[in-house]
Amino acid sequence: MSLLRISILGLLCALALGSAAFASAQERPYFVTYDHYLEERGNLEIAIATTTGIPKKNEGVYTAPWLELEYGLAGWWTAELYLEGVTTHGAGHGFTGWRVENRFRPLRDEHRITPVLYVEYENINEASRIQKEIVGSGSLPFEPIAELTQEQAHELEAKLILSSAVGVWNISENIIVERNLSANEGFEFGYSVGVARHLGSLARATSCLLCPENFVIGIEAYGGLGSSEAFARSEQRHYLAPVVSWRVSTRSTLKASVGFGLTSTGDHALFRVGYAYELPVWRNR
Amino acid sequence: MKVSMLVLAALLLSSIFLTARQAGSPREHDARWAAPPTEAARMNPLSNRRDATEGGKKIFGQRCSTCHGESAEGTSDAPSLTRAAVGRQSDGALFWKISSGNTRTGMPTFSFLPPLQRWQLILYIRAQADTGGATGSGRD
Repeated sequence: MSLLRISILGLLCALALGSAAFASAQERPYFVTYDHYLEERGNLEIAIATTTGIPKKNEGVYTAPWLELEYGLAGWWTAELYLEGVTTHGAGHGFTGWRVENRFRPLRDEHRITPVLYVEYENINEASRIQKEIVGSGSLPFEPIAELTQEQAHELEAKLILSSAVGVWNISENIIVERNLSANEGFEFGYSVGVARHLGSLARATSCLLCPENFVIGIEAYGGLGSSEAFARSEQRHYLAPVVSWRVSTRSTLKASVGFGLTSTGDHALFRVGYAYELPVWRNR
Repeated sequence: MKVSMLVLAALLLSSIFLTARQAGSPREHDARWAAPPTEAARMNPLSNRRDATEGGKKIFGQRCSTCHGESAEGTSDAPSLTRAAVGRQSDGALFWKISSGNTRTGMPTFSFLPPLQRWQLILYIRAQADTGGATGSGRD
């Protein structure tokens, strides 16, 4: 079954199951940076998103879609499953793997800086281009997708997420370390930082689709810093990406961003679009 | 490939098992969950803006009603907010609890809402308590 079919099936299930009223936590406006808000216990969020890259050299444009299932296992623990793929202009398409991630919030209360610990296992191949984080150095490989999908990689990734709520602003910083278990590439490092805020401050009495309180705007910066084997600055990839998030309904959020490549090894731009739908699947009542 | 699929299946099954264990148990009341004195002393900047209560009602319906009930009367997931024990708390204490959340009880963190919207929520919760909308079905 193709990733597109899985995505459509997942979305239809979400729409079918989502008839009950429910409470909704925050869908983060960022694509790469994580904040300290976890999925509410018992809530499932189904999201589909794509990363479309415009490479700097003569390589073709690519689009990498992914399906994301995020579930609140406890107030302090959120788990996610990702399925991802890629399609290119002239170099083929394919399934690029899956990831399972867990986020743990060790402290009961929110603090000036609230830490979250993140651990992810990735079973992906070299064709993966969703770039939900960037680590290490060097540009993406642009061989035919059929060749790249033969090169499997098992990777472990850890993040320290630091996030603060300052008035109407969110400020988040992520420090990333990744280890490829399939090849000796040392420890690869990356980062992302983001700031975002609601456009509206006081809620209106009536429901409205386009009023400012439904929008969050911000900007994030992310990139790879190299590895324990190589730290060449000229090989690093860095992006700067304005983001916007629109709360379309009580249950769903649409978000978009354009990431501008700041270094020669990065793409010209990364266009990202995502849609998330949240529903309760496990309640006491 | 077989090994990775087994790993995935094991992760999913353990997640489901843990979820079932936790969802089956009622949320615990955290008696030690209290706002710091400086936070509890904060005043509601909208206390003279009763017109903002309707906005609080809307946010409550969107963010809180599934767990706390349509009229804040409480459910098996979360306590009533119209109890005297809640009414006795200062606006600042309620603001801190809404903002901070409590990972032990599953109360989400709502500091992503602009501060004025959190103060609007408190206006609505107070209004519900004043009208006696509680049925008292929620747990403490």
